[in-house]
Amino acid sequence: MAAEEKLVVMVTHGPEDPEIATIPFAMAGAAVASDVEVVMGFQGDGCLLVKNGVAETVAAPEFAPLAQLLPTIQELGGKVLVCSPCAKKRGLTQDDLIDGAEIVAAARFVAEVTSATNALVY
Amino acid sequence: MATVLNETEIDAFAPAKTVDARGAACPGPLLEAKKAMGGVPVGEVLELWSSDSQTKNDVAAWAGKVGHEFLGVADADGYERVFIRRAK
Repeated sequence: MAAEEKLVVMVTHGPEDPEIATIPFAMAGAAVASDVEVVMGFQGDGCLLVKNGVAETVAAPEFAPLAQLLPTIQELGGKVLVCSPCAKKRGLTQDDLIDGAEIVAAARFVAEVTSATNALVY
Repeated sequence: MATVLNETEIDAFAPAKTVDARGAACPGPLLEAKKAMGGVPVGEVLELWSSDSQTKNDVAAWAGKVGHEFLGVADADGYERVFIRRAK
């Protein structure tokens, strides 16, 4: 059954700021648990969070660690979209990213946000 | 304010499954509940253990949104036992 609600969560902070990097994953996790369709969009330094091996290094006090949140969100159906120019600027190719991550351009983000019931930007 | 359950009420629920999420931080216990609920027959009860005092409020909000029945909470030794009935 398709979800009746869709949340887009845009992530622009990287591992240098663990709390702000983790909060969007906590929100996305609660959303997928609540049967809300979730799309996470990674732009700027946020792209670094979905580079292979990076999530395992990010943990903020009092939050579940990214190493737990990210795979759970994907397991429960959350999508991971990565900004193409942001990835390119950081030397990231598809092979550098976690399984399931999709490199996309601006129009895809626009399509996701405009078709969502809500969007959060971090 | 979550309903505080006594042992008689808990015995009557006879939880079909118990998940130990003690030590997990937000939103870990909620995600554990979500994953475990799939293995609970409709109409049966899931018991969730959490050492995060906010879990009962988070789970109550979640249950209300997705349509399950939040039954209440019971204090244990350093953690809380949260009870949810699967409704669909």
